[in-house]
Amino acid sequence: MVGQTQTLYQFHGGVVLEHHKSDSLENGLSELPLAEKLYISLEVGKGNYALPVVNIGEAVKKGQIIAEPQNKSGVYVHATSSGTVSYISERITANPTAKAIPAIEITTDGKDEWLQSKNTEKKNSLTPSEIITQIRQAGLLGMGGAGFPTHLKYNEKNQIHTLIVNGAECEPYISCDAQLMLSFPEQLFDGIDLMMKASNAKQAIIAIEDQTGKIEHKLNEIITQRKLASVSVVKVPTIYPTGGEKQLIRVLTGKDVPSGGLPLNLSIIVQNIGTIKALADYCNESKPLVQRIVTVAGDRISKPQNFIIPIGTPINHILQAVNCNIQDSDEVIIGGPMMGYSVTELSAGIEKTTNCILVMSKKPKPQSPTMPCIRCGECVSVCPAELLPQQLHWYINGGNLEKAREHHLFDCIECGACSWVCPSQINLVQYYQYAKAELKYLDYKKNKSDAAKLRHENREARLEQLKQERMNKRKRTRSTTARDPEKIKMEIQASVERAKLAKQQKEKGDE
Amino acid sequence: MNNPKATTHAPHIHTKNSVRNVMLHVLLALIPAIIAYVYFFGFGIVLQITLSVFFALLFEIISLKLLKKPVGLFISDLSAVVTGILFALCISPLAPWWISLIAMFFAIVVAKHLYGGLGQNIFNPAMVGFAVVLISFPQSMSMWLAPHSIALYDMSFSEVLSAVFTQSFPANVEFDTLTQATPLDSIKNGLRQELTMTEISAQPEFGKLGGLAWEWISSLYILGGVFLILKNIISWRVPTTVIIATVLFALPFYLYNPDGYISPLQHLFTGGLLLGAFFIATDPTSGCSSPKGQIIFAIGVAVMTVLIREFGNFPDGVAFGVLLMNLSAPLIDRLTIPKAYGQI
Repeated sequence: MVGQTQTLYQFHGGVVLEHHKSDSLENGLSELPLAEKLYISLEVGKGNYALPVVNIGEAVKKGQIIAEPQNKSGVYVHATSSGTVSYISERITANPTAKAIPAIEITTDGKDEWLQSKNTEKKNSLTPSEIITQIRQAGLLGMGGAGFPTHLKYNEKNQIHTLIVNGAECEPYISCDAQLMLSFPEQLFDGIDLMMKASNAKQAIIAIEDQTGKIEHKLNEIITQRKLASVSVVKVPTIYPTGGEKQLIRVLTGKDVPSGGLPLNLSIIVQNIGTIKALADYCNESKPLVQRIVTVAGDRISKPQNFIIPIGTPINHILQAVNCNIQDSDEVIIGGPMMGYSVTELSAGIEKTTNCILVMSKKPKPQSPTMPCIRCGECVSVCPAELLPQQLHWYINGGNLEKAREHHLFDCIECGACSWVCPSQINLVQYYQYAKAELKYLDYKKNKSDAAKLRHENREARLEQLKQERMNKRKRTRSTTARDPEKIKMEIQASVERAKLAKQQKEKGDE
Repeated sequence: MNNPKATTHAPHIHTKNSVRNVMLHVLLALIPAIIAYVYFFGFGIVLQITLSVFFALLFEIISLKLLKKPVGLFISDLSAVVTGILFALCISPLAPWWISLIAMFFAIVVAKHLYGGLGQNIFNPAMVGFAVVLISFPQSMSMWLAPHSIALYDMSFSEVLSAVFTQSFPANVEFDTLTQATPLDSIKNGLRQELTMTEISAQPEFGKLGGLAWEWISSLYILGGVFLILKNIISWRVPTTVIIATVLFALPFYLYNPDGYISPLQHLFTGGLLLGAFFIATDPTSGCSSPKGQIIFAIGVAVMTVLIREFGNFPDGVAFGVLLMNLSAPLIDRLTIPKAYGQI
């Protein structure tokens, strides 16, 4: 639908940040020379790893399945260029945990040959369940940053009303989604069509954060062209973190995702632009998710730009290709400046979730050091989760983590707005992440010890019961004997006779 | 290629805001009222500000040194300066020099550093200092100057200076013509002598809204306070609620007997109510943090102030109201945890 005005709602707080997106957008989209080695992570969802189905030395084609999921929540992993499998091992990837995880190393042959698919024709009439299978086969993980396996959001049983297409990247610098909407709008709409079919959604809302109006114009053109009645484009205000799932839902619908719940509870699915386009590529051209658009920017990058980069390309290869020479004082950040994480191992390959590589100079600046919290409340006024960040800090600092939980610690989305605004320069998010991890661990330990205690108590009870039963039995026999001495005599008599009989029989047998 | 060495935790960008900046804004916001103070009462206030800021910084340095905390860092946050100035604005320009010495000892050493320093104090330091000297030295605290326009004898700055440092007053003038009661003192004494409020308000130290000169200074506190609200330094909730609650709570008494009780307008524009509403009850460290809690806190300050003024022994009750609510703030906070996003 074009020209329809949508009522927008507000979420609490948020901060207005310098945008830094226009430079990378103006420089357009291009490709980089292929890296010699690709390191493809086998993580397919949090802590879930796919099993390799190729051997070392095996030749692979681009798009060939190289690892299969071990369970229903995992997705397939594909070779992202042609070459040979040279190593399968654990190594550090561009993952926030910076832990070594299973990965496949491919030495590229430079031909970048696609696997010849059996059925390359466009898949037109797919049923919802077929699309969901396609999503899993295409290897789709949420490309906005969380990396949640996409197919898990879809189920024919779910009653979905609205598909929210999240094109509102609210972090500074990152412009890969905006670039995608400018470069591949047709594929995006194909993907939206598929996702709507898969979810049975009545409408789709494309949320964009658009300063120039260029993207809105382009998308609306296609909507008019294709006469799409159920898809609309909505411009949302550029306040960080509007692009956060919960905040975006509030802005568009005025509703809140229940605490601890999912958008599904509101009959909504939120999907990142890149993920949607990747599905269209798979269904239209049988090209699984092997590459993505990555923004390369930051104050140490002379020409910020968006690139189409194969998954697994090492970060140092990318930085070399854009002529960035890393100094000791530089910081390389994956993601945006608000929620991104620093990486120190630049040989790590990019992942499906890597939307941006930032190189920032961290030359020692006369920065004011961290001061104690004065409880000024600036953090309260910017918190999009409507928490009291200063109180959380107070309790966590004092080691009173349970109090922090009472103050809704687990509703924190870790957007960093409180840290950004704090006049005492306290990195509040760090406290919350620590407290969450600690509480989860304590809960885990408590559950484990509770279970052990229960097991122990059950065992004791069982033993006690057996003992009781034995006692009862003995008591019963004893009580009968006590009551009836005649009967005992008879019983003794009977057993003596039984023995005699047996003896006689035995003697007979011997004869 | 080198691996980078720099790692920081997200977020990697930050505002340039600082504690010093917050304190600086508070100081800026006080300037208009201080200028008016000088205009009406002479340079005595500047002398008091100098004294209390000096003692505040002195005790701050001593405390920081003893506690082995970085002196330069914490001196430059200006929080001690704010404490000193807020205290000086509460006392008489004629108060002897050792008043601010004692008050600043209790404010900086006892109320602030013994509780853990910046951001850890339960009570507002300036109000602790003020309450200590108010209770301990009532006579020195009640010698106020009259505004120039109605003063029977206008003391020169050098005369104020010798009064402050040596407690020697001009010899040829009678003591009572030198000093004057504050409007709230006059009300308290007047009502005790069974005068009506109309008679009391007709005395020269009263203006149209409240105390003569005080109504101007109070209005400029509002101006400074609004500046702080616009600059997002203080929340609007506390001052607005203090003002509204004071009016609403004082109104029934006034309507019941206009001659026996202070009018709501006089409540606002005499004494320290507006200074308290905008600059003292808004102290975030010793106040409430939840929005609902802030409103309860402000209502408490207003109710205590009105009760003390109408029925208590002290002419003004803002300081006691604030201290009492400081004490209740943690409990109020615990009972008013707001709902987070998505909570039913």
